[in-house]
Amino acid sequence: MPNLLEIRDLTKRFTSAGGPFRKARSMHAVNGVSFDLPEGRVIGVVGESGCGKSTLARLILRLIEPTSGTVAFDGDDLLAKSPSQMRKLRARMQMVFQDPYSAIDPRYTLTRAVAEPFEVQGVKPARPMAEEVAELLEMVGLNPGLASSYPHQISGGQKQRVGIARALALRPSLLVLDEPTASLDVSVQAQIIGLLEDLRSELGLTYLFISHDLSLVKYFCDEILVMYLGRVVEALPDTNAPARHPYTKTLMESTFEPDPKKRRLIAPLEGEVPSPFDLPPGCAFADRCPRASALCRTDTPVLSTDSGHAVACHHPI
Amino acid sequence: MLSVRDLGVAFGAVEPLSGVSFSVEKGETIGIVGESGSGKSLTAMSVMGLLPLIGGRITGGKIVFDGQDLTDLPERAYRKLRGGRIGLITQNPMTSLDPLKKIGPQVDDVARLHLGMDATQARARTVEILGTLRIPEPALICERYPHQMSGGMKQRIVIAMALAADPDVLIADEPTTALDVTVQAQIIRLLDDLVKQRNLALVLITHDMSVVAQTCDNVVVMYAGRAVEYGPVETIFDRPRHPYTQALIACIPRGLEETARLTGIEGTVPTVINYPKGCPFHPRCARAEAICATDPPDFSVEGDSAAACHFAEVAHAQPA
Amino acid sequence: MKASSMTARTLDTFARMSIGRAFASGIGMVAGGFLILLVLVAIFAPWIAPFDYAAQNLMNANAPPGWPHLLGTDEFGRDVLSRVIFGARTSLSVSATAIAISMAAGMTLGAAAGYFGGFFERAVMTVVDLTWSFPDILIALIFVAIIGPGLTSTTFAIAIAYLAQFTRLTRAQIVRLKRETFIEATVNLGANPSHILLRHLMPNAIAPVIVVGMLAIGDGIVLEATLGFFGLGAQPPTPSWGAMMSSGTAQLFLSPWVIIFPGVAVAVTVIAVNLFGDELIRALDIRDRLRGA
Repeated sequence: MPNLLEIRDLTKRFTSAGGPFRKARSMHAVNGVSFDLPEGRVIGVVGESGCGKSTLARLILRLIEPTSGTVAFDGDDLLAKSPSQMRKLRARMQMVFQDPYSAIDPRYTLTRAVAEPFEVQGVKPARPMAEEVAELLEMVGLNPGLASSYPHQISGGQKQRVGIARALALRPSLLVLDEPTASLDVSVQAQIIGLLEDLRSELGLTYLFISHDLSLVKYFCDEILVMYLGRVVEALPDTNAPARHPYTKTLMESTFEPDPKKRRLIAPLEGEVPSPFDLPPGCAFADRCPRASALCRTDTPVLSTDSGHAVACHHPI
Repeated sequence: MLSVRDLGVAFGAVEPLSGVSFSVEKGETIGIVGESGSGKSLTAMSVMGLLPLIGGRITGGKIVFDGQDLTDLPERAYRKLRGGRIGLITQNPMTSLDPLKKIGPQVDDVARLHLGMDATQARARTVEILGTLRIPEPALICERYPHQMSGGMKQRIVIAMALAADPDVLIADEPTTALDVTVQAQIIRLLDDLVKQRNLALVLITHDMSVVAQTCDNVVVMYAGRAVEYGPVETIFDRPRHPYTQALIACIPRGLEETARLTGIEGTVPTVINYPKGCPFHPRCARAEAICATDPPDFSVEGDSAAACHFAEVAHAQPA
Repeated sequence: MKASSMTARTLDTFARMSIGRAFASGIGMVAGGFLILLVLVAIFAPWIAPFDYAAQNLMNANAPPGWPHLLGTDEFGRDVLSRVIFGARTSLSVSATAIAISMAAGMTLGAAAGYFGGFFERAVMTVVDLTWSFPDILIALIFVAIIGPGLTSTTFAIAIAYLAQFTRLTRAQIVRLKRETFIEATVNLGANPSHILLRHLMPNAIAPVIVVGMLAIGDGIVLEATLGFFGLGAQPPTPSWGAMMSSGTAQLFLSPWVIIFPGVAVAVTVIAVNLFGDELIRALDIRDRLRGA
């Protein structure tokens, strides 16, 4: 399968200006991330808060401009596109957002919200708009009778379905899912995940799935990228691959099984995710890592691949 | 140690909680699990005697703590228990911490108020407790302000405050929901150790079935303001008899193991204003029949577990 | 064309949803009813007023309230009631025109500043804040110096006086809304800036601005009366509540009705506007959003 996305060395640095009472600070939200997303695959990006996974999603869709690096979508360099070319291209790359509660304009009826992609792109659907909207609502499992409702009249799960319908209206090839179920109840989360699975096979979609929940990523994705403080520290080629990076191992050991017979022995872990501002040199995980050596505190390990399994660690497991 | 029998709560004409029962002994953890609007946090507030504060009242049932019924305890006596013999840990540590006060004095105050210690004794106790919570350099931490600490560290401070008066029961309301997974694991381990070392009774309120499976001895599954099933954790996960419990377990991916297809539950979680009549789960239940829409089911007891379902007997034999 | 139909629809929803709800309370009904009555009086003044507001009758100067001059006459023998009725016309039209100009300019500037940000935002806000730091009377004097005393000067002075408020409020709304997920989602659909601004940001920002505008009309009436009182506003014989009070001060003890009735008109109108505005704020549930300005 050809690559739908090719990300090379993508970096975003945020700087806060200094002043008389404050030092200028800089933060590498995303630091040298590279990966390929083949058509039809689902890659999961997993990491804790502040690891840069949401920033990565927005860089890929060029909702924010990267500091350096390249994004190729279907062989096209996205960063070379003019604003109007970019607006046209957006029809093919869509996103489902974390917070369904504010993802629809509160003054829009569902009909207007679902019809908006066509209006914005100046596309006239083959059928009358009302039919098109009803079809889209049905596709995401919503009763077309809700079409004239306002967002505040429907539940969070239903709002997320509307978000998905809007994203799919123009038949994109890539869907970036930014924690699409993080603010939903578990019974509703499972509905949405099931819907996304069905849509993937029906429409032949390619997904980039962003989540903090390793068990969900493992369930939903084909490959997993593990991020820590802006960098990809490990790329698991399949979901059963054993962890080679100590951080991935910690993450796995912190993920509980919903089975009282399989309780985990939780090893004490020093410290917490450090502040992403002005990181010290070396491996960002070194301070918390049981395998860290002097080398880890001076040299930043690079991602190196061994039979498809990439890991950025001086002392991999 | 703490036992709740058939608790009901009302706000005016709205009855967001009814028929909730559970009990917990020293050295034990009970999990109260449910989705949003299930009434799990309200249960915690009732036990803490905080209902009058938000305009609610207890309409029925008993809350027995160490042989004493708390339902008609006057506020004065409650104040002694709350934060004293019953400790509370909330979801958001910032609601429990004063942002303008250093950590040390905040924790000291608990021991001074409830144990009548003087400043030096209280500080010594604070440093000791922070140490047992594996907080590095406790004496130094006492001089810090809350905003200088990470989320996980703040949650440890809140736990320290809950422990300072040497409580018998600890109520933890979603103590790890706002935290990252690796930090959550650390806090869960800490709570586990505390239950064993200090012989605490822990009431753990959570929406996360995996956390329940990891830590609890017994479980109460709540839905729409009612307890729908309770029992030992192994029984609830191995042989759930309530269709809601079965469906809820089918909704969560197995951590690192292979997961069969997630099914989800049709429909949406009801809110207090539209709790269904009869069995609260019937509109979303694959097994529901006419009786479910009219008659609230009684608990059908089997061994030491019970499920409030008209079809609990058959439900386990042939899951929907 | 599209933008105007959008505005019409927004105003229509706004009207149905909130003005109706504001009327629902007792206070809202009384205050709103009075304001509607006042507007009708202003519109139909020539048919309602019993006398010509400018007709002098020196033989009957300073007549106390009675028949046929219900509210008495002034020092030129003009009917006070007729002058108060025509004064409503002056006060309301000057204030409403000024606020409309101010709102239109403030919303445009505020929306542009909030949306584009950066240097443009800082420049606009600095200039606008500068206008705020001048006393209203001083601004009026500047206009009087440039185009002479009269209602045009008054109108511009009031418009400038409220420009900062509308600009700041609109900008605060836009800045807050820009961070909402639905804006990012719409950008991601490929929407251009004018779609974002006209279809999402403005319709969501407009409600509090309209309420503040409503309240400002009350303040505008006071400001118009003040300027009239100092002789900077309406020129004789145009009746204006402020100018009437000013001319009444000379015979304050001889014929107090000349100053009392226009004064009462100003007070009651301003109280009604404020009460109704409060009801609107409550009905729209936007108290929080007004704090940003």
